[in-house]
Parts: sequence; structure tokens; C-alpha cells
Amino acid sequence: MSKKLLLAASAAAILSASPAIAADDADLNALREEIRAMQSAYETKIRELENKVETLEAKQVRTDEKVAAVEPAAGRPAVPATSRRQVNDNSFNPEIGVILQGKYQGFSEDDGDIAGFAIGEEAERGTEGLSIDETELNFSANIDNLFRGNATIALHEREGEVEVEVEEAYVETTSLPHGLQAKAGRFFSELGYLNSHHSHADDFADRPLTNRAFLDGNYGDDGVQISAVLPTDFYSEIGGGAYRGNDFPGGGADGGEIGSWTAYGRVGGDIGDNTSWRLGASILQVSDAEREANEDMVVFNGDSGLYIADARVVYAPTGNNAEQELIFQGEYFHRDDDGTYDDMDAGTGPVAYDDSQSGWYAQGVYKFDPQWRAGVRYSQLYAGDVPTGLSGSALDDGGHDPWAAAAMVDWTNSEFSRARIQYNREELADGHEDNQIILQYVMSLGAHGAHAY
Amino acid sequence: MRRLFFIIAGLGVLLASPSPAFAKVNVFACSPEWAALSEEIGGDLVEVKSATNARQDVHHIRAKPSLLAAMRKADLVFCTGASLEIGWLPILIKKSGGPNVQPETIGWLMASDYVQKLEVMSNVDRSMGHIHPEGNPHIHLDPHNIATVADVLAERLMLLDEANAATYQQNLKSFQDRWAGLIAQWEADAASLKGRKIVVYHNAWAYLVEWLGLEVTATLEPKPGIPPTASHLETVLKQVQGKDVQAILVSPYEDEDAAEWLSDKSNIPVVHMPFTVGGNDKAGSLSALFDETLRLLKQGS
Repeated sequence: MSKKLLLAASAAAILSASPAIAADDADLNALREEIRAMQSAYETKIRELENKVETLEAKQVRTDEKVAAVEPAAGRPAVPATSRRQVNDNSFNPEIGVILQGKYQGFSEDDGDIAGFAIGEEAERGTEGLSIDETELNFSANIDNLFRGNATIALHEREGEVEVEVEEAYVETTSLPHGLQAKAGRFFSELGYLNSHHSHADDFADRPLTNRAFLDGNYGDDGVQISAVLPTDFYSEIGGGAYRGNDFPGGGADGGEIGSWTAYGRVGGDIGDNTSWRLGASILQVSDAEREANEDMVVFNGDSGLYIADARVVYAPTGNNAEQELIFQGEYFHRDDDGTYDDMDAGTGPVAYDDSQSGWYAQGVYKFDPQWRAGVRYSQLYAGDVPTGLSGSALDDGGHDPWAAAAMVDWTNSEFSRARIQYNREELADGHEDNQIILQYVMSLGAHGAHAY
Repeated sequence: MRRLFFIIAGLGVLLASPSPAFAKVNVFACSPEWAALSEEIGGDLVEVKSATNARQDVHHIRAKPSLLAAMRKADLVFCTGASLEIGWLPILIKKSGGPNVQPETIGWLMASDYVQKLEVMSNVDRSMGHIHPEGNPHIHLDPHNIATVADVLAERLMLLDEANAATYQQNLKSFQDRWAGLIAQWEADAASLKGRKIVVYHNAWAYLVEWLGLEVTATLEPKPGIPPTASHLETVLKQVQGKDVQAILVSPYEDEDAAEWLSDKSNIPVVHMPFTVGGNDKAGSLSALFDETLRLLKQGS
């Protein structure tokens, strides 16, 4: 209809401009007047109609959207009309996150050697004074409908050298049936509670002695892991993995052998609305390892089995974790080493060793305000008996069981920023009384994935 | 090594075992309002698990073990979306969600995808607090939204459980007939509330405010997700003075200290709203939730 009107209007316009009409002036003027009147009447009408059409069109689009959203066309799944969203060139860029951490650490003792234990680099105390600690770059994205990829690159400075470390670089399945999930690449294995977590999510500024001594912070190796959440009413999960065996407590992996494997089982559930819990047991078995420790001065050659039990209980009034929360967590570690230890500092040469070490930690963290938490932690290690050949070496605990106690308070402004103050008392060797103060901030920029339980 | 092979073989057996045919459709609802709607439309044909109760803040719960177990059984994941559950739902989906409850499948229903959202922002920055660029996710306190989502839910249930499609259709029809009547009743009832000034803790009331034509004079949180601070509360006090504000709305999961402080200083009553199904003793169903919401709003004056 508006088209017809447009035609009529243009015809009128052409007529009005046509000079070829021979008539007397009065007639011509009257005619012109009439045409002008017609023209303006039509123009008003057209404007009105155009407005109407626009409104109707806008309404139509809204209805279309609603219909597309609510009533799927035959054969098309009833999913939202996402194709209507604007897609930019960068829409498929991975989620990028940066974790910024800074620390001030003050120690009252000069060294932090742990009596009876040969430890890896990450197990040491860290830099005294001000430092930016570790900066983590994280990239993750869905690869397609089946896989998700994740890479975490950590930058840290050690003795003036900047080290770039591939902490994790893995692909995982997102939608396997029957509660199954598979992972491949380099990643922090499911072992006990803390191992699979990144340190920026920890409740304390440092790891407990057990995770430092037995796992060098985190066990993250190259391999595959598969897990299954079982079809029980309560939560139960089993899983396991096979790895190259190159990360502490392994090391020196070469050839085509599978150097280490893991297995774990877990159960968990709720007690009423307020409390949730999880219990787990895990094994890490390393074969034919060449484990270098204490700055490569102590080398263990042989097989090593690590057994971990872990427990975690979270209590929140009415289950509302946002306001208040009380978390208890603990892990027990037992390691069997069967092979030879060689302490080059002490000049022992390779000495046969077949014994075990153990340790545990327990911690409680209380969120007493949506932004404030306080926590205490105690960790304890027990070194094995040493054969005479190793007495006086790093493996000789000199009759002292290392222990450490920590107390912290932290403030969380949003889920992306946290600042913490922590006091440690560590008695890691006979006559060694280390009082430590740690100030720390942990902040995240950009994408920041959800944290596991 | 040998033990490892046993584990892999065991998992293989597990994978091969056929899944038992389900008698009921298992609905994993993220919050009580969606659990209640599932029961309205699904009736006895669905088994509904609500991940949270009315006294829990859906933004901030943990991806607890019990939820992993519930997710493993889910045939339909029915949540709000718009990043409301982003802190925990992705973990559950990845870890134990099957192929039929992944995003963009029939078993993935995010209610906020189907309604006109308020406060959609194009430029966001985290200095603005915990905001959702997709728009305000708290859509359920406008009963028109509930009606829209009910249609989509019935659609999904019919696709997931074709044998009982007629029952879902029938349940939907009787729900919608009843709901339309209730909406008319509520709207007539609430006409007097138009223009009423309120103070809220978090902007979780945007859709109720829009529906009833209320007016939010101030928000106790300085920024979304950031708890009230003393200096901000002083500002709020100045904002409400002499403004004829009728109520300070607090939901069951929000800390009431800030609201009580403001109430003491300003004599504006704190009104404990149910916010969702189960939020107080009387709000036991979706219709009771709106009955209670209106009753408390009117009483607060």
C-alpha cells in the first residue's frame, strides 16, 4: 500500500515540474496550487505510514525472536537462537587469565633445610624480602564440542634468572557419558586434596611441609588420566593415570617406559544442609626414578611409592558459604623408597636404602565475615631410619622430627583479589627455630575459572 | 604396572555397561524456583534435585561432592544462566555432566536465555563489581517470565520424554491457565504499590521492581557483590532521608546487619522477603512466593 502511495506522490511531483502544459495563467496557478496541496497531503500520509511500518517491523523482529526462542522449528532442538548474537572476530579467542602474586617474606633463620629429607626446588622457602613470587598466565577454551584445552605458564625468578615453566598444558573431555572424564598432556594429578589445586587458590601463603617434601609443591607430569564419577546416590569417584615419571618424586625419565602411575578413590556427600565432606585415598608409584634433590646434590635411584589419605569438611550455617564458613582439611602421606641414596655434599656415595617416611598436616580456616578469614595449620614430618652409610647426610634427621605451624588472616575484596598476612614457626632441624612473617597478595585479571570443591 | 591395567580394564567395563532406562526424568535445578516450576510441569514424571535452598546465595555455593553425584544423573540441567552459576556449574558439567546436558543441547535449559533481560551492559569492567554483562540474572520475580520459561520447560520435557508428551502438555496448559488468572489478580492487587520507594541489599529485585513499578532509592552494596561498607551506608542514609522510602528488602541469604543499621537510623522497616520458593514458611510454592511477596510489600508500608 505504501508503494502505491509513493508512485502517486512521484507522479504528482513529475506533473508539478512539467512545463509542457499550455493553459492560461489562472488555470495553471490553480492547478499548481491543487497539486501542491495534494503533494503535501500525500507526504504527510507517507510519513505516517512509514512510521507505522517501522513500528510493525520492530514488533515483528521481537516476535520472531520470541518464537524462535520458545517454539523450535520441527527437527531443530529447542535451544536459544544464539545465531542472532553478534559474533566478533575475537569471539573464539581463548579465555585469558593472569594471576599476579606478590610477597614479602622475612625469616629469622638463614637456611630452611628439612632434617632427614632431600627436597626439590619448589619445596624451599622462597625468596626473602619483597618479590613478585610467581606470575601465572592461563589460557583456556573449548576446543570443540568434545574437548577443552588449558595451558598455564608460570613465570618466576630464581637467583636472578627468569624461569618460564609450563605448569600445565592439557586437553580434557567435556561431555563423556557415565560420569567419565579423560585428560591428556601435562597437568597436576589428582592426588590427595591439594595437589590438583594451583597455589593461588590455597588458604595459606605456602604449602604444608608434606606437600613440599613429598610432592615438591605439586606433582605435575606428562601423561594421561581417566576418572569416573560412579552412579551412586552419594558421591564416589575413581580414577588413575599413567605418566612419563619426570616430575618430583620421579625424575630422569627416558626411553619408552611409563615411569609412574597414579590411582585414587573418593567418596563424599552432605550432612544436612550445612555440612559437606569428602574423603579420599591415592597412590603415586614411581619406577626406576633418578630423583635429584637438595640442588642436585642428593640423588635417589630406585622405586618409590607414595600413599595419601585426605579429608575435607566444609561447614556453613544454612549452607550459605558466601557469609560464613568453616573448613577443616587434612592429609596423611606415607612414602616407601627402595633403591640407593647418594649425598654428594656429604660424600656418601650410593648407599642402599629401603625405608619409609611419613607426615601429615591439618588445617582449619574460618570465614567469619564475607570478606575476612582466619586460619591455622600444623604440619609434621617423620624421616626414615638411615643406614650407617648415610649418617650425617641430608637423610639423617639427627633425632628431630621437622614441624611447622602457621597462622594467617586474609581479606578478600572480591573473588578476584585477596591479601594475606601469615606467621610461621618452623622447627625443621635440631636447634633450628625459624620465625617467619609473610605478607602476600593474590589477584587475578581477566578470565578466572571456577574453583573445584 | 599390572594394577594400572586392571584400573583401565575396570573403567572399560563401566563404560560398556548399558545405562539403566530411567523411569523418571532427572532434573538438576540450580535454585528452588526452577525446582518448583519443574514439579509444576513435570509432576510425578520428574525427579527434581535443587542444588541450593532459599537460604543460600546461588552466586557463591561450592561445587560440592553431592552436586557432582546429582549432576551425573541429570537428564535436564535447569538453571538461570547469565553467569549466575558461573562459580560452580561449569565444574559440575565438565566433571560429571553427560553429553546430553552440555550447553546448547536439549538437556541444558538456562531460563534467562528466553526472557528480555534488564541491565544488559555492553561495556563492562570488574571495577564495576560483580556484574553480569548478559544482563541482570535474577529474572524469576516477574511472573510473566515464569510463564515464558514454563513454555520452554514443557517443550524440553516433551522432547526428553516423548512417551509422556501429552501429560506435560496438559500440565502446562493447566499451569498457564491458573497462572494467567493469578497474574491478573496480583496485578490488580499490587496497583497501589506503583511508585513505591524501596531500598535493596543487592540488585536482585530488578524484575520485581520493573513488574510492579517500584522505585529503588538506594542499594546497600556499594557495588554488586561487594558487601556494604560504613562509608557507603552513610551515603545511603543521606539518600533515603526525606524520600518517603517504605521498606528495606532483604532476602533470606543476605546479611541483615547493614539493613538493620539503616533501619535504626532512618526508621524505615526491614522487610524479610522470601525471594524464592521456601524463603519463608508460607512461600512453599511459586504462587505462594508471589502471594507472600505482595503481602509483605504492602504490609511494609
